[in-house]
Amino acid sequence: MAPAATLDVQVQPSNGEPSRTLPKPQKEMTKAERRELQERQRAAKATKQAAVPNGVNGKTANNKKPTEVTQPSNVPAQRKERRASRAADTARPTPAPVNKPLQKVPLVAAADASVEKARGLRIFAHFGLPKPASIAKGEIHPTIVRLALQFSNFKITGANARCIATLTAFKTVIQDYSTPPHTTLSRHLMTHLSPQISHLVAARPMAITMGNAIRQLKLEISGSDIDLPEQDAKNALCSKIDHYIRDRIIMADQVIQETAGSKIKDGDVILTYARSSVVEKVLLDAHTEGRDFSVIIVDSRPMLEGKRLLSILSAAGIQCTYLLLPALGSVINEVSTVLVGAHSIHSNGSVFSRAGTALVAMMAKRHSVPVVVCCETYKFSEGVQLDSFTKNELAPIGDMFSSFPLTKPRDALTLQNRPNLEILNPLYDLTPPSCITAVVTEVGVIPPNSISSIPLALGRLL
Amino acid sequence: MVPPVCYLLFPVVDGSSAGTMFELVQALNDDAEVLKRRTPNPIGLNAGCELFIAFVTLFPHESESFAGLKTELVHQGRKYAAEALTFRDKIAELTLGFIKDDSVILTHSYSRVVMKALLHAHKTKRISSIYARSPASDQLMHMRHRLKTYETLTAAGIPCTVVLDSAVAYVMDRVDFVLVGSEAVVESGGLINAVGSNQMAIIAKAASKPFYALAESYKFHRLFPLSQYDLPTHNSTILSLPTLPQRPAVPRFSGSEPATSTSAAHEAAASASRTSTPEMKMDAEQISRNPSVDYTRRVLSFWNTQFPY
Repeated sequence: MAPAATLDVQVQPSNGEPSRTLPKPQKEMTKAERRELQERQRAAKATKQAAVPNGVNGKTANNKKPTEVTQPSNVPAQRKERRASRAADTARPTPAPVNKPLQKVPLVAAADASVEKARGLRIFAHFGLPKPASIAKGEIHPTIVRLALQFSNFKITGANARCIATLTAFKTVIQDYSTPPHTTLSRHLMTHLSPQISHLVAARPMAITMGNAIRQLKLEISGSDIDLPEQDAKNALCSKIDHYIRDRIIMADQVIQETAGSKIKDGDVILTYARSSVVEKVLLDAHTEGRDFSVIIVDSRPMLEGKRLLSILSAAGIQCTYLLLPALGSVINEVSTVLVGAHSIHSNGSVFSRAGTALVAMMAKRHSVPVVVCCETYKFSEGVQLDSFTKNELAPIGDMFSSFPLTKPRDALTLQNRPNLEILNPLYDLTPPSCITAVVTEVGVIPPNSISSIPLALGRLL
Repeated sequence: MVPPVCYLLFPVVDGSSAGTMFELVQALNDDAEVLKRRTPNPIGLNAGCELFIAFVTLFPHESESFAGLKTELVHQGRKYAAEALTFRDKIAELTLGFIKDDSVILTHSYSRVVMKALLHAHKTKRISSIYARSPASDQLMHMRHRLKTYETLTAAGIPCTVVLDSAVAYVMDRVDFVLVGSEAVVESGGLINAVGSNQMAIIAKAASKPFYALAESYKFHRLFPLSQYDLPTHNSTILSLPTLPQRPAVPRFSGSEPATSTSAAHEAAASASRTSTPEMKMDAEQISRNPSVDYTRRVLSFWNTQFPY
């Protein structure tokens, strides 16, 4: 797959030159011949790469650039030669006259070194790319530094886990904070927290859940009593944080467990995608209640989170089937309910979740299988999102999540250093509300397009 | 369902020895549970009980003593129940706006609110109605419901034709709109009604005919069925496949000496088939494998489902 993509890009520059003579002879070739040519080019490339061990990065490209830049006049000559050789090929297809590798790296791209550095298609440049933890600006609390590292290395993932980790870290920060003279806690603490928050955001774009929780925290801070002794005010804030975690996440999950669990009947086949902490709890809970059902776990690259869910569920004694996303079509007819989690849910009812969820939901919708999303109300975002392109996040390039004990070194496994190859791994996608049957929240089961009425019904702003 | 439920549950409130709200709600819940177990189709009852318990719990505590609160509860409850009986008249009045002269209306099963609406419309407009009746549901329903819709409408002077529910698609093009009652309106915006309503709605949608359901506000039910099989009425006997009786062994053609016992059995079977053939009725077991209600999904609508509680 990857080499073919590379090849296309390689061939293009010569094709794209003003004289459009080249495509014609290529068309004249039979399919087998073209295939053979490709194979040869691939082989040539492989030998070249082997000659330069580990030198697949910008270095080779740099080495090559000067020679190519000085050789533009060479190109037509080469082409003629190639055309001749192809003509000969039609006569006797066996020999391999093209010994030298094709002209690599389009000239324009080669000149622009920054493109290579950017990595990632330019139209996706606005997606948050994971960055290595940046040097801290201002006073960053060690807990936050550690948390930022855990975020950027994907050691802590999942909307709930990240929100809980952030709030717990903030508790430490608040406890270690002391109000400078001539200010009050309610006014100054937020200015102390904002660099911590921006440090976390620099590590990985903020989740909606974190945003909602932090907004609530800000509200609590600004509302804290000025006359309260500092320690008491800090304790009060910490208990507020604890309550938030308990009410909006832990207890909400328990209610969702019961509600969604009641939708699982004996003999059901539940399909889930990747891993959601809520869905995991729902399934385990339904199993402990003695319901007899089996689970199909659909998973996908690059994170393969479903493996963890698989190990947990099968350890609990639930009948499980594990498959990758392309195989979904073959099992969807067997499924009675699709149960998925969510990263966040927008006010138009669209669900922002792990990339691939939309595919699963659409497939289920097409086959009239009910799609149930388990989502706490604190994941609601008042914005509207229409596609997964305007806002998304990229997974780190490379096999960060692979746990294969392969003999090759990890660098060799990754495709990241091939020139002209861009790897795009968006982390999330958007499931339109029309593909969702119901959203299970702690306030009840609701249709996706009634999401916007929930904060109102709760009588508060999220 | 609310007025009867209210009247059934008032004595509970009245006569309960409960000293606290918690005890009272618990007593109500227990009695509601007993009621539900006694009825074959608990959906409407559920909605009624739920509403009543919500009414009790959300009732403003203004009286000094608990006994006072209880009398106040019963008083207000009775007022609501009396008011609930007028809901059908209100609906009938509101339905008038949807009915034009010379309308042909397709209805299904027997629904008191639909009856009321049609009879009310008949006073001012020329209407004719088609009543879809299913032979199977005839047997499912209580005897008095058989063709009750037809009889009532004809007696009132509304021209009425009875078609089989398998002929719904056939008549749909001649129909102006479909009007049905409801067992419950659920949180998804869907409708639970006598079995056959779903296919009627699908056919109406395919023929671009309006499909109206009349529902009193106490029919709103906090329930979100994901499919037909997620309804509280669904159980494992519905649609279950019967275990076939062992096929009787074919009597050997020995010719010479027909065993008297075999021939007697044969005779009995033949007579049984003779008697059963003209009837061709579903037996009780076959009927029990049929659902009584079905769930009509909300296909297209843009409003938010907001529940009054």
